[in-house]
Amino acid sequence: MDYPIWDLAVGGGVLIGTIAILHVVVSHFAVGGGLVMAWAETSLGRRPDPALRALLKRASLMLILVSTVFGAISGVAIWFTIGLVHPAATSALIHSFVWGWAIEWAFFLLEVVTALAWYATWDRVRPRTHRLLIVLYAFAAYMSLVIIQGILGFMLTPGRWLETRGFWDGFLNPTYLPGIVFRTGVCLLLAGTYLMLAALREKDRAARTRLAGLLGRVMTVGVAVAAAGLFWWKAALPPDVAANFLGDKPLIASLGTGWRHLFIALAASAVLALLAALLPRTVRWPQAVLALVAAFGLLGGYERIREGARKPFIVRGYMFSNGILVSEVAALNREGVLSKARWAAYDAGDDSVSKGRAVFRAECASCHTLDGYLSIRKRTASADADFLTLFLTALRDDGAKWTASPPQKADYPFMPPFVGTEDEIRWLVAYLDSLKSPAAVKTAEATRAQ
Amino acid sequence: MRNDLIPALDPAPVPGPPALLVVLWIVTFFLHLLAVNAALGGALFSVLLPPSMPGASRRAVAAFFAEINSWALSLAITFAIAPLLFMQVLYGRFFYTASVLVAPVWLGLLLLLMLAYYLNWIAKFRLRAGKGATAALAFSATCSLAIAAIQTSVHLISVQPALWSAFLGRPSLVLGDPTFVPRLLHFVLAAVAMAAVLPAAFPGSLADAAPGAARFGLFTALVLTGAQFAVGLWLLLALPRAVLSGLMTGGVANLAPLALGILVGLALLGLLVRAVGAPGNVRLARVALGHFAAAALFMIVTRHQVRDLYLAGARATERLVVAPQWSVLALFLAVFVLCAGLSVWALFRAATDRPGPGEAAA
Repeated sequence: MDYPIWDLAVGGGVLIGTIAILHVVVSHFAVGGGLVMAWAETSLGRRPDPALRALLKRASLMLILVSTVFGAISGVAIWFTIGLVHPAATSALIHSFVWGWAIEWAFFLLEVVTALAWYATWDRVRPRTHRLLIVLYAFAAYMSLVIIQGILGFMLTPGRWLETRGFWDGFLNPTYLPGIVFRTGVCLLLAGTYLMLAALREKDRAARTRLAGLLGRVMTVGVAVAAAGLFWWKAALPPDVAANFLGDKPLIASLGTGWRHLFIALAASAVLALLAALLPRTVRWPQAVLALVAAFGLLGGYERIREGARKPFIVRGYMFSNGILVSEVAALNREGVLSKARWAAYDAGDDSVSKGRAVFRAECASCHTLDGYLSIRKRTASADADFLTLFLTALRDDGAKWTASPPQKADYPFMPPFVGTEDEIRWLVAYLDSLKSPAAVKTAEATRAQ
Repeated sequence: MRNDLIPALDPAPVPGPPALLVVLWIVTFFLHLLAVNAALGGALFSVLLPPSMPGASRRAVAAFFAEINSWALSLAITFAIAPLLFMQVLYGRFFYTASVLVAPVWLGLLLLLMLAYYLNWIAKFRLRAGKGATAALAFSATCSLAIAAIQTSVHLISVQPALWSAFLGRPSLVLGDPTFVPRLLHFVLAAVAMAAVLPAAFPGSLADAAPGAARFGLFTALVLTGAQFAVGLWLLLALPRAVLSGLMTGGVANLAPLALGILVGLALLGLLVRAVGAPGNVRLARVALGHFAAAALFMIVTRHQVRDLYLAGARATERLVVAPQWSVLALFLAVFVLCAGLSVWALFRAATDRPGPGEAAA
């Protein structure tokens, strides 16, 4: 919160989500591709299959062009983006898990080197060496998943870390293993569906059918493992999270809808995988494309739910989504949020609207934009000053509930509490009220410019 | 001039000894820089080959670097991750602030990186097919240059918190920083000079183009290394007075890396003079490459010292709380050794393992 604020019209969350979805799809493909291709190339040693070999060779270029570069850069892009949108949270994660990330990086180094070497040595080295390269790649890629899942799971379910601050308590959190199982299944499913699409380029019909059947079985295993992981993951969620966000009446309607879409994607993946496994001769490209879309839907839906269910936190129980620590709520209620948010307050004028804008930037801008995603103008359009004051006061009262031990049920459990003084509530109300009148905004901006 | 915009230290303790984090940061940044020098320098060198060189030779040299760069760019990206990670633990509040101040440009860096990489692959496949690839290589090199400029900008903003309030409205002001041009130039010239020696050091795949490429490369390296002394002096003199005097008056330990870097540079100059006279001497060219690497390492240490001198005032009251996570730190070191060892072994096997007579290849 004491960092400069990047004003992004589409909203930081949307940008992070867009990059993250692209990255997770590619990185899961990289992991699953490694596992499936290592297994397939090992099987070639026992039973030569020119069609399967040709498929692997074609896919190896895709693996390095998409995975080792797009995957790597989009992974860094997530890191860059959260650093721009939530610098304090990034700093907190880095301080807690730098060695975990460093371990993942070491595996990633091995992953990149072996992927490049594997691609470059087709038709050059002995089969045993080539197999070793892809097996090493698969090992390294899978290990990077094993590591990163600890940090991803931590943000939603930090578990005992909240008391101990110990690395392993945070890493081996309640959703760690279920998350790994789910992601392993998705990796296999994505790799199977992509390779299926690539296999359909095979001219020989018998070989094509054989490959489709083989990959259909891979997809089926993937769906089964992913389904098991998904149900286990849901069961491992803290009861209040499951009840609030994934219950019969979810607090955020889109999460309830998303949960239903997730099951539709899972069911579609299962049907298409079984169809390919049992009737490989019938597989055509529309079916393979549909399977790929369903696999994307499954993974994307899961990530959306996981991120949404974390609300209103970045790290549940530790840091709210606006970067305010649970531990500093009481102090900031006394001293005012602007005492800490120096960048937000930096160019604020002395009038209420300007100071309210600074409060908005400090506390609300990490989720709400002015007119774009989660537009604050639209959300407050019909609320008068009295209503806004009541609402913000209730949000401020939530602070005591979040910080109680154990935490009590907040009135608005999907939003961070309002943190600050009575004056800051008044200023924020003045700013939100000013949004209704363009003339008032102009006046405020003119004051700021002076 | 104000330092009150510097964010507070992260409340979480530093999870390892700061000195170890600095060593890891420098070592991994050094490896990153070697790959960057090959990629950026190689791309620029391929584009700047003299028109007097026969077309076939120019294509052979471009193909040589396009092949190297498909590895070098991947490794540059991979090795960029670790130093960024270690740096953020110690200097996060300066780095994050600087990157937010130029957020769109900082994020755009990744698009440029992706573009540079894929353009290199396009060039590689075109050259393999016997076609020209000057445009692709030129765009790739331009992207890499822009990335270097962005990195330089963010670095300069991060170390000057007293100027943050000025950068808030106009981050482009950083381009007018007196050290911006010499800093960028110092880095780019080093990259091109080092890459220019590669054809002489590894002439195997260049075939008929090798002698011409080696001769031109070594000559280029000699001229640019000579120019580095002037640019280096320019950079030193452009540093803020407090930073320069801190560097010069901080005792032997403070001056040693810079002095060693200059000495290695002088030795390199001598080596290159000899190598220009004997462009077929592969060993000499490889020794010169070793000197380039040593000079880069000393300059990285100097860069780190300069950063600390810039930030001395801003960090004067900083009290880091250190609580090492020993078990996971040890695990990282073990995994790093394992993965680095396996990577080297995999590369060695890939380079040397060939099917015997009558044996099938993979």
